[in-house]
Amino acid sequence: MSGDAVYREHEGDLVVVRRETVATDVVALTLADPAGGTLPGWTPGAHIDVVLDEGLTRQYSLCGALRDRTSFRIGVLRAPDSSGGSRFVHDALKEGSQLRVRGPRNHFALVEAPRYIFVAGGIGITPLLPMIESVQQRGVPWTLAYGGRQRASMAFLAELARHGGRVRVWPQDEEGLLDLPAILGDPRPDTLVYCCGPEQLLAAVESQCAVWPPGALHVERFAPKPAEPAAAADSPFELVLQRSGITTVVPADQTILEVVERAGISLLSSCRVGTCGTCEQEVIAGDIDHRDSVLTSEDREAGEYMMICVSRCRSERLVLDL
Amino acid sequence: MSRLAGIPVVDAVNYPLNCWYVAATSDEVGRGLVSRTVLGQPVLFYRLRSGAVAALEDRCPHRSLPLSYGTLSDDEVICGYHGMAFGPDGRCVRVPSQQNVPYGARARSFPVRDEPPFVWIWMGHPATSTLSDPPALPWLRDADWATFGETLLVEANYLLLHENALDLTHFPHVHPGLSPSPYLGTPPRLEIEVTETTVSYYRDFSPSPLVDWQARTTGLPRDRDYAQRESGEFISPGLHVDRMHVFAAGDGAGSYDKILTRAFTPLGPRRTIVYWQVSRNYLTSQPQVSDQLRDVHHATLTADKRLLEAIQARADGLGADEEFNVSADVAGLRAHRIIEDMLAAERGWHPCVTEEEPCEPKSGLSGPVQRA
Repeated sequence: MSGDAVYREHEGDLVVVRRETVATDVVALTLADPAGGTLPGWTPGAHIDVVLDEGLTRQYSLCGALRDRTSFRIGVLRAPDSSGGSRFVHDALKEGSQLRVRGPRNHFALVEAPRYIFVAGGIGITPLLPMIESVQQRGVPWTLAYGGRQRASMAFLAELARHGGRVRVWPQDEEGLLDLPAILGDPRPDTLVYCCGPEQLLAAVESQCAVWPPGALHVERFAPKPAEPAAAADSPFELVLQRSGITTVVPADQTILEVVERAGISLLSSCRVGTCGTCEQEVIAGDIDHRDSVLTSEDREAGEYMMICVSRCRSERLVLDL
Repeated sequence: MSRLAGIPVVDAVNYPLNCWYVAATSDEVGRGLVSRTVLGQPVLFYRLRSGAVAALEDRCPHRSLPLSYGTLSDDEVICGYHGMAFGPDGRCVRVPSQQNVPYGARARSFPVRDEPPFVWIWMGHPATSTLSDPPALPWLRDADWATFGETLLVEANYLLLHENALDLTHFPHVHPGLSPSPYLGTPPRLEIEVTETTVSYYRDFSPSPLVDWQARTTGLPRDRDYAQRESGEFISPGLHVDRMHVFAAGDGAGSYDKILTRAFTPLGPRRTIVYWQVSRNYLTSQPQVSDQLRDVHHATLTADKRLLEAIQARADGLGADEEFNVSADVAGLRAHRIIEDMLAAERGWHPCVTEEEPCEPKSGLSGPVQRA
């Protein structure tokens, strides 16, 4: 048999069956199969790619009910500095509009723990909604601190209201920035922290959680993490694709992903800037230079996986399970 | 060597609990007590007067006699040792030797769904069962389809069955006489598609003659060429569905579709029960077609069973550490990864609190699914 196989993520054309303005500059879209079919299953923290146009792909967290297998719900903020994605959603998508969706996939998975602290900033509330549904059903204690510019700009407040005192709504114009030391409290070995929001919030929570046990904090980024200044220019290295039986070279000016694709290997990729996690590959050997915004510092230390769209190799030889 | 390079199948409790598994066929559960092992746990099934199915741990919480040694009275199970009575929710409702029932006296009960032909069970956290439904398999109950089924016990880890189902390249080697004829020429391109929770594949065969069993069971003329599509899907750790379409355009009949639905339920680390059902949308009223298809599937499923049991025995003896992967294993490896992520989420978080207590591995196939 030849190795002629094409490997890709599920894609489907879905239709907007409901469009609601859920806060200032935030719309919630409910997407369904035009034929009424079942959509792929997913778990809390999952996101989909919305293919808005050729070359314009955006990731949105799924924020609908877990049991609903016939529609996806996403929440979209009209970003002032939008490169076109959120503007297109707000201006062009109406009820009845069709759009191409890829996935779902999940790099922000909810791990079981005895207790949770959720921290949301603005539209970062979306992946946390199904997490809250899940842990509430499990009967595990949790709290949510939800910050936003002003109350009117904060989406899904009405559906969060039923959780009463577990949810602390924190509009900046009324109460200032989230008081992270108070919200997070002292490090606890039984508690996982899940945070999604703008970069400043993520950075602040990361710094606040530096004294927590490693692995306690889970964050999700929708934009690439600010790059650290490169110590030196990129250099070429040898690339060994173990399963395929191929050895090649990654030149200084090309990514591993580009080289693997050129070698004729079919593999998954989406954002190509290190935020979506789709192109993750298992590393068999090599000193990895991680440059993505997905893996935690613990993942990086373990050195088992890498995002080949941006990360490189410091040693002369990298062996991937590909 | 790579963590995914081998299959962790030796003494591996490598099945997620938070998943719907088939525990029995609906016709196996009636007004009697049926005992089954599911994911290593003894479970008692019976049908209530309302027709609903109840599932309790098959163990009296008083002195551990299997409740299946007792009797069913109305909707209550009466233990065969001291006559204590348990309701369908597991609660002890009567203790013959005393007036009142001790507080907290109850047998564990499990969420079940009776969706003929299958009875599904949720062995994980009971409350989380409400966040998902068993996979919809409408063709099994559709009057436009003819369906028959059986069960098969395989002395092998359930992952071996999934890998076997997701690997099409073994087919012409293991089942040469039964392979569709295009397998014998240049194989068509395999299209693999993944989501967070599923892996599916399909391949389109260019027009060619039917092999003997296909011609016999479809009644289609042998002297013509037919395009075919073969597809399959890993739907969950407990379910795999394969489809075969024979396109008989020109005969006015459209597509001759056959679906093989297989529920894989681990009884334990090295024993799996397969609930298999074959459905077709053609010649649905001809029982001899069912008999012929039954023979064909018996042949393929038993041949695979023989291989998988031999693989399990060899892995038990030597381990599977030194296996290698090829490109065609990509679908199986992806299913592996989906299961691995489910197990990691269930295993939960174990922080390293002190220097003396080293960190638990944070993810991956270490831990419960580690090879012996």
